[in-house]
Amino acid sequence: MAKKKDSVVMHERDLQQVSAQQRVMQGVVKAFTYLFLGVMALIVLFPFYWMIISSLKDLAEYRLNVPTLWPQKMVFYNYVEAFETADLAQLFLNTAYVGIVSTILSLVITVLSAFAFARLEFKGKDAMFAALLATMMIPGELFTITNYATINEFGWMKTFTVLIVPFLVSVFYIYLLRQNFMQVPNELYLAAKVDGCGDLKYLWKVMIPLAMPTLISITILKMMGAWNSYVWPRLVANDDAHRLITNGLRNAFTTTTGDVNYPVQMAAVAIVSAPLFLVFLFLRKYIMQGVSRSGIKG
Amino acid sequence: MVDSKHQWKAWIYLSPAIVLLLIFTVWPIINTVRIAFLEGYNALEAAYGVQFQFGLGNFIKVLQYSDFMTCLKNTMLLTVLTVPISTILALLIAVALNSIKPLQKFLQTIFFLPYVTNSIAIGMVFAAMFNIIGLSPDGMRAESWGIINNVIMFFGGEPVNWINAQSSYAANIAVMTIYIVWNALPFKILILLGGLQSINKQYYEAARVDGTPRWRVLTRITVPLLSPMLVYVVITSFIGGFKEYSSIVGIFGEKMGPVGADLKLNTMVGYIYEALPEMNYGVASAAALVLFGIILVVTLINLQVSKKRVHF
Amino acid sequence: MKKIVAMLLVVATLLGVCLMSGCNKQNTVLTQDFVIPEGGYDGSKVTINFYHTMGEPLRAVLDAFIVEFNKLYPNITVAHEQVGGYEDVRDQIKTELTVGNQPNIAYCYPDHVALYNVARAVVTLDDLIASNIEITREDGTKEVLGLTAEQKADFIEGYYEEGKEFGDGKMYTLPFSKSTEVLYYNKTFFEEHELKVPTTWDEMEAVCAQIKAIDENCIPLGYDSESNWFITMCEQLGSDYTSATGEHYQFNNDANKQFVKRFREWYQKEYVTTQEIYGAYTSGLFTATTGQRSYMSIGSSAGAKHQRPKANDQGEYPFEVGITTIPQVNPDTPKVISQGPSVCIFKDENPQEVIASWLFVKFLTTNVNFQAAFADASGYVPVLKSVAQHPTYADKMSKADGYDNIAYLSAKVCMEQAHAYYTSPAFNGSAKARDEVGSLIQAAFIGDASAGLDALIDKVFQDAINNCKK
Repeated sequence: MAKKKDSVVMHERDLQQVSAQQRVMQGVVKAFTYLFLGVMALIVLFPFYWMIISSLKDLAEYRLNVPTLWPQKMVFYNYVEAFETADLAQLFLNTAYVGIVSTILSLVITVLSAFAFARLEFKGKDAMFAALLATMMIPGELFTITNYATINEFGWMKTFTVLIVPFLVSVFYIYLLRQNFMQVPNELYLAAKVDGCGDLKYLWKVMIPLAMPTLISITILKMMGAWNSYVWPRLVANDDAHRLITNGLRNAFTTTTGDVNYPVQMAAVAIVSAPLFLVFLFLRKYIMQGVSRSGIKG
Repeated sequence: MVDSKHQWKAWIYLSPAIVLLLIFTVWPIINTVRIAFLEGYNALEAAYGVQFQFGLGNFIKVLQYSDFMTCLKNTMLLTVLTVPISTILALLIAVALNSIKPLQKFLQTIFFLPYVTNSIAIGMVFAAMFNIIGLSPDGMRAESWGIINNVIMFFGGEPVNWINAQSSYAANIAVMTIYIVWNALPFKILILLGGLQSINKQYYEAARVDGTPRWRVLTRITVPLLSPMLVYVVITSFIGGFKEYSSIVGIFGEKMGPVGADLKLNTMVGYIYEALPEMNYGVASAAALVLFGIILVVTLINLQVSKKRVHF
Repeated sequence: MKKIVAMLLVVATLLGVCLMSGCNKQNTVLTQDFVIPEGGYDGSKVTINFYHTMGEPLRAVLDAFIVEFNKLYPNITVAHEQVGGYEDVRDQIKTELTVGNQPNIAYCYPDHVALYNVARAVVTLDDLIASNIEITREDGTKEVLGLTAEQKADFIEGYYEEGKEFGDGKMYTLPFSKSTEVLYYNKTFFEEHELKVPTTWDEMEAVCAQIKAIDENCIPLGYDSESNWFITMCEQLGSDYTSATGEHYQFNNDANKQFVKRFREWYQKEYVTTQEIYGAYTSGLFTATTGQRSYMSIGSSAGAKHQRPKANDQGEYPFEVGITTIPQVNPDTPKVISQGPSVCIFKDENPQEVIASWLFVKFLTTNVNFQAAFADASGYVPVLKSVAQHPTYADKMSKADGYDNIAYLSAKVCMEQAHAYYTSPAFNGSAKARDEVGSLIQAAFIGDASAGLDALIDKVFQDAINNCKK
């Protein structure tokens, strides 16, 4: 509208031409956007496709010299084998329990910490935050033997605690959420204080809804973590009562000769991935929904 | 601003995180530092009761390691290449995904799929796509040139030896860059998409009314308003980039190089892990501290640069 | 300022901790050698843990024999667990050793035992083997704690000797089930063209030339493992490879350079390729019926089924597979590598657990029925000679052929070459030497010899030695 006022001298026909041109431009941009997304989607999709077709090949075909792009013969037996070699119900239950509990606890800790870093002023905040970031810079594998000894001291071997507690805090997520919280203008917080609204209420009513997309992302990542982890769980709780899905299924495709039966492995991975995929489909609308944004400055 | 009430409140909010971090992260780090200064520390010898000398021997060993510079060069090169490429690509995809209406859900789902694709599967796909099977000793004939080379040859190009025996360093790095970017994309898209959702639509409406060109909307509105998330993505992927290891294993296996050229693509973390199978934690810890120093410097520079640019 | 204060605090803590570095936990069990308690096993209730890599079908066999074992020793509970692959077992145990959580029994390769012995965690078996203590079992029968002369003699010698390859002459492991390398060849093709199956490397070279003349596009021989090739050649030639004592890495010598040079020539003439150089399974090359193919393949005896071409819908195979001993330098004194798991026993606070573990290990490794059943289920070679006479096993062996029953054919060949097995010295780092000589062959085959072949060969040997010592 603003433009129109400025260009009152412009001839009516010229204006029409401009908008027609704009429409064409818009069409081109749109087409290009779809083309770009389409090409990227194909590239990104290829490994997934590969995983699925590999899971449907028999071992002999998988071992062919020149890989086939489509199974010569669909073999669903790999899925049966992956299913049969493990007590899948128990594995699912264990994993879901660990995944859900650790995700909830982790969210609480992450939200509280991120809130402290984003909103509250306290002595040593910057140093504390820098120290937190620094912990990300050492490869975690070096921690294994020390943590193993700690767990052993605590008597946590072969418990669900040991699968949940040690990795509840993720600096990665605290940092992410802090960035998100920082975008909420301070005035809102101060206004809430004046209204007599407590920190926790403010956090619950304002901050969390505003940061929902990020919180959902964290939820997905954390669940994924429980589903995919295997080095630590195998070390500390690899008994039937606590074994997690990835370890349970890994045993299905590691043959006695130490070889890996890749088609069965791919089938196992596909089985493991399916619930995650459903969770994502369920949560996606929250990521994209776009919560009420009026409060966000940025 | 700082009143005492807030002081203890902040610490209470932080306490669960601090307690857990002290036990499961800070204590192991302190132990790592201690071990780094115990010469020739081996966790199994320690279990047997061997005492180790306090000294700088492990650090000297790390710095004298003949391939230390190779590891450093590979790590740096991959980080410098992959961080900008993956960030820009993820940004473009996220913005594009955010701007369309039809098919949005469908495409979003597709971009999420790599997440539920096992990393082993991704590694194997790459191997299969770039792998040349049965390359003759003179390098002229092959049983199968691989999917990528088939595409290149279809357009009249010369096939490239990407990852096989006698492949060039440039080709290896190119494959690794593509692979790492590919691996990093879904996470970055997810984060940036979440960030885009937090941007007030009013800015875009204003821009549309003003007839601002799209490119300017991207650089003048989207990027500044997304800057906290972009900074997050850049800083964490720099840290991740310096810790690159498993992606190399995914393509080249634990030998960290093409056939006949072991360790050609070894990285800093690769060097650290080399010592772990034999439980030589002394050298590994010292190497980890050297790496820590490097990452710290880079991150401080990053933070300093971003401080001026971030728009909260 | 704040940051500096924080930093100082951290440094102070660190220094404090460094001073307290005496807080290192010591695993006191490890410092003492195991001594057999008087009277041997006293019948007390113990649970022993056994780590292995067995998949479901093998666990079923194991479970069945645990039931048998418990009929003799009802108070010994055996808890066993598939940890993952061999390296997973190793990684699990080496971490557990740091706090004393190690299992009682584990599947092992010699280099794993060498690693565990950095903490001197593995029980030496010599005293147990020699023990004359008599133990009364639940069913009233008696057994000697040690191994009888017949039991010892029944082990395939090469397998048994592996337990002593640690440089101190002591016995650390018993063989559990084994595999080796065999030569697979396309029997149909060999018969059609009246080719002689090679028994020596010279014959191999000749037959490769013949095959090349028949099928120009082929690569006559595929070799799975460069490492095995190098180590086996050292053994066959009698040249140095490694030593468990003194200077470990001794493979940089002229005899070894000679054979590497020779095989490089084969590779350049496209007589031979290896899995990694070729970029696909050598078994895939061998079983191919179109395109480039090979007519011989040297690979694991346990992987016989992978070396069989795909049958059509009527169950007919495109060609018959023959299996024989790999080529030799001197066919009168053949040498073939011994692979596959052994078992070792770990030290424990409770000597009864060690004794119970020994009884169980002895039960499995000397039990003909178990060895026969396990070999049948796994495709591995039993470790006892007498399994060949075991009725069901012998029956299966008699059905061996190059089609459906290829696994039996492979096992049969392995049993027939029982006198040929060798093992290499084991020490902490022997796995590295193994990897390095494999890489050495790769680098020698594909390396650029424009600066002279000898210079290239010298360089790859020197590089491998340097990497071993790194």
